[in-house]
Amino acid sequence: MADDRQDLLQGTLELLVLKTLALEPMHGWGIAQRIEQMSKETFLVTQGSLYPALQRMKRRGWIKSAWQTTANNRRARYYELTADGRKQLDVERTVWERASGAINWILDANRIPDVSET
Amino acid sequence: MSVFSDLIERVRTIVFRKREEAELAEELRFHLEMSAEQAQRAGVSESEAKRLSAIELGGVERTKEDVRDARGTRWLDDFVTDIGLALRTIRRAPGVAVIVIGMLAIGIGANTAIFTLIDAVVLRSLPVREPDRLVVIGDPTMANSTGRSTGVNALSYLLYRDISALGGPLESVLAAGPTGRLDVRIDATATEFERPHGRFVSGNYFSVLGVPAFRGRVFDGTEDNAVGAAPIAVISHRYWTRRFQQHPATIGTTIVINNTRMTIVGVAPEHFSGEVVGEAADIWLPASMRDVLKPRQLWLGQRNQIWLLALGRLAPGATLEQVKATYSPFMVRTVAEYAGSRREAFLARNPQAPITAGHRGFSDVRGTFQAPLLTLMIGVALLLCIICANVANLLLARAVARGREMSVRLALGAGRGRLVRLLLAESLVLAVFGTALGVLLASWGSGALLALASDGQGIPLDLALNVRVLLFTVAISCAAVVLFGLAPAVRASRAQHASMLRDGARTIGSDLGGGRRRITPTRILIGAQVALSVVLLVGAAMLSKSLRNVQSAEVGLDRDHLLMLDLDIETRNYERARIAPITSTLVDRIAAIPGVSAVVYSENGIFSGTEWSTRIDILGQAPRSDDDRLTATDNVSPGYFSGVGARMVAGREFDAGDAQPIPRVAVVNESFAKFYFPQEIAVGKTIIRDSLAITIIGVAADLRDHYLDRVPRRRMYTPFVPTDSNFTNPEDLRIAIRTTGDPVAVATEVRNAVTAIDPTLPIHAIVPLSQLMRRSIQERRLLAQLASAFGVLALVLASVGLYGVMSYAIKRRTGELGLRAALGAQRGDVIRLVLTDALALVVAGVVVGVPLALVSTRLLGAQLHGVGRVDPASIVVALLVLTVSAAIAGLLPALSASRVSPLVALRAN
Repeated sequence: MADDRQDLLQGTLELLVLKTLALEPMHGWGIAQRIEQMSKETFLVTQGSLYPALQRMKRRGWIKSAWQTTANNRRARYYELTADGRKQLDVERTVWERASGAINWILDANRIPDVSET
Repeated sequence: MSVFSDLIERVRTIVFRKREEAELAEELRFHLEMSAEQAQRAGVSESEAKRLSAIELGGVERTKEDVRDARGTRWLDDFVTDIGLALRTIRRAPGVAVIVIGMLAIGIGANTAIFTLIDAVVLRSLPVREPDRLVVIGDPTMANSTGRSTGVNALSYLLYRDISALGGPLESVLAAGPTGRLDVRIDATATEFERPHGRFVSGNYFSVLGVPAFRGRVFDGTEDNAVGAAPIAVISHRYWTRRFQQHPATIGTTIVINNTRMTIVGVAPEHFSGEVVGEAADIWLPASMRDVLKPRQLWLGQRNQIWLLALGRLAPGATLEQVKATYSPFMVRTVAEYAGSRREAFLARNPQAPITAGHRGFSDVRGTFQAPLLTLMIGVALLLCIICANVANLLLARAVARGREMSVRLALGAGRGRLVRLLLAESLVLAVFGTALGVLLASWGSGALLALASDGQGIPLDLALNVRVLLFTVAISCAAVVLFGLAPAVRASRAQHASMLRDGARTIGSDLGGGRRRITPTRILIGAQVALSVVLLVGAAMLSKSLRNVQSAEVGLDRDHLLMLDLDIETRNYERARIAPITSTLVDRIAAIPGVSAVVYSENGIFSGTEWSTRIDILGQAPRSDDDRLTATDNVSPGYFSGVGARMVAGREFDAGDAQPIPRVAVVNESFAKFYFPQEIAVGKTIIRDSLAITIIGVAADLRDHYLDRVPRRRMYTPFVPTDSNFTNPEDLRIAIRTTGDPVAVATEVRNAVTAIDPTLPIHAIVPLSQLMRRSIQERRLLAQLASAFGVLALVLASVGLYGVMSYAIKRRTGELGLRAALGAQRGDVIRLVLTDALALVVAGVVVGVPLALVSTRLLGAQLHGVGRVDPASIVVALLVLTVSAAIAGLLPALSASRVSPLVALRAN
């Protein structure tokens, strides 16, 4: 099965997890699925990177977890944003927007800017 | 906030480690199942789905590891694993572990026990409010001293009243002083007195200390307003429990103290036993009641009667320096103002008043025990070092034996750092057990030490474990782990995998590789043990010699045949006229007891702890200074000198005719005679005391009658006169009974004789002189005995260590020795070979140890009596003892080596 999905950019996983959980509490599998869907199958989230990231975020107090039953009546650990997590989402979002905007400026540039000697 | 959540999360993962792991497994399983279902839905065949899921499963363990890392508790997981492994290793070889734990327990226990005492005596603050804001005014070691003197190391009541009104950097000042003997009847009809330990205190005592009443009330500060107007008392929780069974009705009870009715108004809290460390007060009485309770000593109005110490509480923001600057000049000025003719001498001797930090309160025992305790602390610290060296050697031997195990671990991919940590964990486990056992030992040991130190007199100190002691113990245990654990751990981690695995245990680095003496860690440790043992042994030898000097000092008394009888005549309040006949009846009755050869008495007694001094002039001599006029004095009965076994050097001693109401004759001791009449004959010279001329009729040999370890002072004796005068107080009567046999044998009959004369006359003590003397050097004896015990222990440990190392080396050399024997070596050659090897270690240790001992025994300084700073005899004794035990430790393995049969030895290889 050919798979052209790509791994996430360095450092963006936490932002995407925060965004996903901002929509609704979700279990690990759901988070991975949701990111894949929302990225229109562009990004692949492996369990090997997802679960350590969730553990780190829990330690930082951005998310908390609780065991619940799924719609299909199975037990799963659900993750949920904390107030700190919500703030962190804003922070990461700002950082990302500034970074991606800057990258776009560079990529869009079609002439060499003047660099004055100082 | 996030630090907090981080901490909680970490703690949670540690505490619920098992559950956490299970949950992680379940979460990942759920993930896989969902993944497989999705694949099936997408049309992948079941077998293909399983295959895919299996591939992903390979990552599960990896993921788990990553999650564990993300928890931030990896080091702890490893640590827990290491501890588990360590416990298993110890269980596999319990013999070594038991020895190691036992030795560590002794070392840590001894250190903790001594430190517990140091903490209680020297370091701990009083259990009062903000002790750090207290300031001691006066010499804090004089908590039980009173004196008729012009000085500022203690205070008169009037001086206290003056400074308590001074204010400034001190917001309040309390005063406290000894009560001396109290005769208390709880029930007014009782015929027996009881003698609680009391303190006279100012009315603000409890409020300055910040100690509230536990029941009833404490003094409210009005007690000092008038002399004799506050017949009330506060008792300690201990006394309340012991004597009143904590009965609530105790408050309001009236008791009789020295024939005065006093009402108990309150009970102090349980944790508070007074401001004097090493003494527990039973009862506190207002200082202003002193003249009522002790009507023969009207001290409250006397400027030259000093008997109080003061504790001030700093005003907010004030400093000790400010107190010194204000209070010291004021006190010196005030005392000088009333000093009269002593003014200049006083000012010359007392430029300032002693004012020091007061958080530790007052203490007599601190002065006595501080230096010996610090000496002992150094001793036990050395002992612990020796023990650590010994343990390190044992573990080194084991580490070498475990080289193969370490090689396997290395080959399987364990990092060297990880190996070091594993071995340190083993050391840590051993230390934890050793420490736990040591703390148990210490709690018993410190109590036993205290009992020994107080020689049945009971010094009440709180020796319960506290945070500071525990911290100390943990600190020395950690130091011990590093000391004994690091070398074996590093050694073991250096194992070479390939060679170790190939050769097995056979070629593990021998410590004595064929005749060449290599410097190995084991040998260094043995040398260090020998060196430290030398230090301890030399110190112990010097202290023992000093003790012997003190014990055998020429005292000039018949020390083995004197029974000291101390009566409490004062409390009976006899009419003055009755005292003389009662005294003479008593002396006659006792003298009639079979086995008694003489009965004499004096005012201050022998080794009684009571001393008097006076100032005199010599007719025809001008004193060079005021100090020249000072002489010790005593009033003694006719026949006193021959009675106590003293020798007259010139002239005669007192007879019954000398006891005139105004003394006209005196006997002086040799020191007195030599000091004032170096070139002349003392007998016949005239002494002027308080304008009275007294003629010297005799010179007695110097007596060590109060201290064994001090040079006798110059002293004059005048006849004991049983009437009140400026010079005698007939109530201070101490009787010395000379016996032909054991003085204890007549004690009962002496007691009966006293009772026959007056059944209510309280006997304070009947004690043989030898016991009083022993008590007076109790701390010296204890120090010498403990130092010797530690020295012997060190010696045994070093010898055992040496023995162990030598036997181990010989086992390694069995082949070589067998070969030598086969080639014609005689038994003697083999023995010499091994002994030389052992002695080389000892010599190395001695070469380092002797200079170390020379330096460190300097610390003993004042605790040595008649022993020089460098004492060759002690060093020789120490080295002799050491060499003999080392020779034995080396000889045993050497003998067994010499018995090696060449055949057996060669086969073994």
